[in-house]
Amino acid sequence: MINDLTNVRNIGISAHIDSGKTTLTERILFYTNRIHTIHDVKGKDGVGATMDSMELEKERGITIASAATYCQWRDHKINIIDTPGHVDFTIEVERSLRVLDGAVLVLCSVGGVQSQSITVDRQMKRYKVPCIAFINKCDRSGANPFRVMNQLKRKLGHNAVALQIPIGLEADMEGVVDLVSMKALYFDGENGELVREESIPDTLLEEAEEKREELIDSASMFSDELMEAALEGNVTEDLLIGAIRKGTLTRELTPVLMGSAYKNKGVQPLLDAVTELLPCPSDIENQALDMDNNETTVTLASDSDKPVVALAFKLEDGKYGQLTYIRVYQGSVSKGSTIVNARSGKKVKVGRLVRMHADQMEDIDTIPSGYIGALFGIECASGDTFTAKDMHLSMTSMYVPEPVISLAIVPKDKASQNNMSKALNRFTKEDPTFKTYVNQETGDTIVSGMGELHLDVYIERMRREYNADVETGMPRVAYRETITQRGEFNYTHKKQTGGSGQYGRVAGYLEPTAENDFEFENKVTGGSIPTQFISSCEKGFKACLAKGPKMELPVTGIRVLINDGASHAVDSSEMAFQAAARGAFLEGYARAKAVIQEPIMTVVVETPTEFQGAVMGTLNQRRGMILGSQDEGAMCVIDARVPLADMFGYSTVLRSSTQGKAQFTMEFSDYKQVPQSIAEELIKKAQENKKNVA
Amino acid sequence: MKTDQKKAIRLGTNSRLNGHGLPAYDNIINLKERSFMMLKKDLTLRNPLRLLGKENQDILPKGGFGAVLARAGVGKTAIMVQLSLETLLRGKNVLHVSLSDPVNKVSLWYKEVFHNLADQYNAQQVNQLWESILHHRFIMTFKVEGFSVPKLEERLADLTEQNIFLPDMIVIDGFPFDDGVEASLKQLKAFAEDHDLCIWFSVRTHRHEKPQPDGIPPELTHIDDLFEVVIQLQSEGKNIHVKATKGGRTDGLASGLILDPSTMLMVTESD
Repeated sequence: MINDLTNVRNIGISAHIDSGKTTLTERILFYTNRIHTIHDVKGKDGVGATMDSMELEKERGITIASAATYCQWRDHKINIIDTPGHVDFTIEVERSLRVLDGAVLVLCSVGGVQSQSITVDRQMKRYKVPCIAFINKCDRSGANPFRVMNQLKRKLGHNAVALQIPIGLEADMEGVVDLVSMKALYFDGENGELVREESIPDTLLEEAEEKREELIDSASMFSDELMEAALEGNVTEDLLIGAIRKGTLTRELTPVLMGSAYKNKGVQPLLDAVTELLPCPSDIENQALDMDNNETTVTLASDSDKPVVALAFKLEDGKYGQLTYIRVYQGSVSKGSTIVNARSGKKVKVGRLVRMHADQMEDIDTIPSGYIGALFGIECASGDTFTAKDMHLSMTSMYVPEPVISLAIVPKDKASQNNMSKALNRFTKEDPTFKTYVNQETGDTIVSGMGELHLDVYIERMRREYNADVETGMPRVAYRETITQRGEFNYTHKKQTGGSGQYGRVAGYLEPTAENDFEFENKVTGGSIPTQFISSCEKGFKACLAKGPKMELPVTGIRVLINDGASHAVDSSEMAFQAAARGAFLEGYARAKAVIQEPIMTVVVETPTEFQGAVMGTLNQRRGMILGSQDEGAMCVIDARVPLADMFGYSTVLRSSTQGKAQFTMEFSDYKQVPQSIAEELIKKAQENKKNVA
Repeated sequence: MKTDQKKAIRLGTNSRLNGHGLPAYDNIINLKERSFMMLKKDLTLRNPLRLLGKENQDILPKGGFGAVLARAGVGKTAIMVQLSLETLLRGKNVLHVSLSDPVNKVSLWYKEVFHNLADQYNAQQVNQLWESILHHRFIMTFKVEGFSVPKLEERLADLTEQNIFLPDMIVIDGFPFDDGVEASLKQLKAFAEDHDLCIWFSVRTHRHEKPQPDGIPPELTHIDDLFEVVIQLQSEGKNIHVKATKGGRTDGLASGLILDPSTMLMVTESD
């Protein structure tokens, strides 16, 4: 593998569900000669898109797992990650963006900036990923790329600037006008593989000149040279592209391209833009934390000769063992070399190295700095850093949201039980947002995840890939407990009747905190609790958080402060203080007005305006708080916050009340206190369940 | 009937509960509830907007129109949001119609202005208060070209017929005061009277247009009789003065109001 980093691009393709990311990736692979036939998502030929290699993905027409692939375009090597659009699989987007240098934000020219586009944009901001926008589906009726561009400015706050204008729209779409070269581009051949350059049609000349002026105006903010050239009237293509690139890399400018991937229009210019405008690995400053030096940040050099630093960002368990996707940030990982897992300190010998192309792989000898590849047979967790020997660096890890929904699953027979545990073992390892545990009281296996579809997909995968038939219970919401006011405690744990005694007194208070799940502060003075027992107190309090006294739900948002206590020269021990802290917690908790909280979802419904009233009615019935409605012409967007507990089965209700014309997206927003009447019901239910178990 | 209906909606579906999901008993004073009410009252009292009207009363009567006039970028939206917040804090429902900004941006305006207004109070209580007033606010956004009075009525009917939301006040930001405005305003006036609500408009004025001798700008020349209150934002030197050109208090209390450019909040000059 030749390592000229300026010709390498690590990009992601992400967007709202059904914007055509996978279709676009399919065209990119075709034009870069990675595949020789185009297959459609949910295609009639029964093959499905290359990147949707999972059977379930092909059937449902959605991307579930992000897939990596590699292609070459005009001397540039492009690693592409196609990510899911559905918000339930958001972790896939999150980990892809963590390791990418640039992204293509695909937007639908009819649907515009939809809710998931907003989420993806937020994720891009989090990892400071520069992006270019591609307005897809310009062949659809109702297509209006400039409206979408305006939304990009208004809703996402991007400084969006058009690099192209369409030649015709909807069914009449023929091609695009490139505003940099001022040429009309048409896409001929059976699959649009032949790009024909012509002069701009007279009817579009005025518009093209006006838009080019706007483009030069915006780009000249990033280059004095361009500004001077613009004043003198001799703007060259290189100068213009250089300025646009500068703005794009700092995320201050978002170049917008347009086309229709499905109709094979505008994809090659997009590939040109990827190579010309998006950063190469050495354009991005990557940092790691020096664990030996108080976690100070160290800037990594994209140099293959330096000691290696790589991040394992995704795990996949296949028939040949665990496949670990890594991005090498510094140095190179070669076959036979030894690397160290920074978390566990374990030395690992690198065996097989591969480059991924959807579900197929190609053996390689080295993954140089700046590249993405995969290792075989390495035991590690998602987010682990691999370094050279004697280095103790750790890459900052990625944001993993907490699961919000859970489901009890019961295997149908003995064989299924074994297979189910194998499947769960693999899935939890691969996906940090999918968790599983056994309910100690009911003995049920509980799986939890980010939404109904998320769990649905895993249960289906269990059945298909592991032959594990399971029955599912009703979905359960991840309720939790917290306190609403300060509750003081002064508890003495005393057991001095025979044998070795136990003694410890802990005093202080609990109070609510919004910043963290748990905070502990020690304000004990004069040694009333000896220093060696303070950590036992913290341990004791922490142990109480797993099961709250009110409903045995996890307790969060609590700050514990201890300011007094007492010990006994002989009978005080770590155990005694842990027990005292547990007692103190119960005492303080009883005074702190505990409440139950439930997850609230941000729900965005896009509906034709005639159904607006009906949709609002459905949201209102679900205890939803409608924040507002946005009129977008024929369509209208309703923003609401609805408790997750009331959202089960909403897609069916929405379909039936809007003749199937509305769609909605849902994403976790925050936790809110449940109304008293519902809290009472929940407590009653929990008590009944407890009785049944007993 | 409408007022009763509004009251019923404000009480929520379960009238045994107060605004925080706690049981509301008439003869028991809930200390937490009382301090919460005090915060609400304090914020309302501290709000200099009351200087424009009578204490604890609406600035506009039912069916009344108010206008906030200023040149572009001076702070019309900030004032409109403050007018709305003042009403929301008194437990009334406000429909905010924006013809210029999306829902998220309008929401952000409210969040910013509210937190600036309440920044010296206990954060937990402020958050609780914020959550409680959100139920009384509804944001609707339209494109200017797609907006019409019948359309607004239709959208509002979607809400009122199902008892989802009944506004006591409507705030319309970005309403085009162009040639055909008189007919639309008359339609809106009838609508406001029918529904027992008042409406505030933001009106953009222009530097080159001189006001009439009574201070009314040309945008409102033939329609100023429709408006009960007209507030103007005028930049004089470093300050932006808030002046009631028509209506409001006449005892001079309102004359010392300025807009603080750092928080976009109205303050009295003595502050």
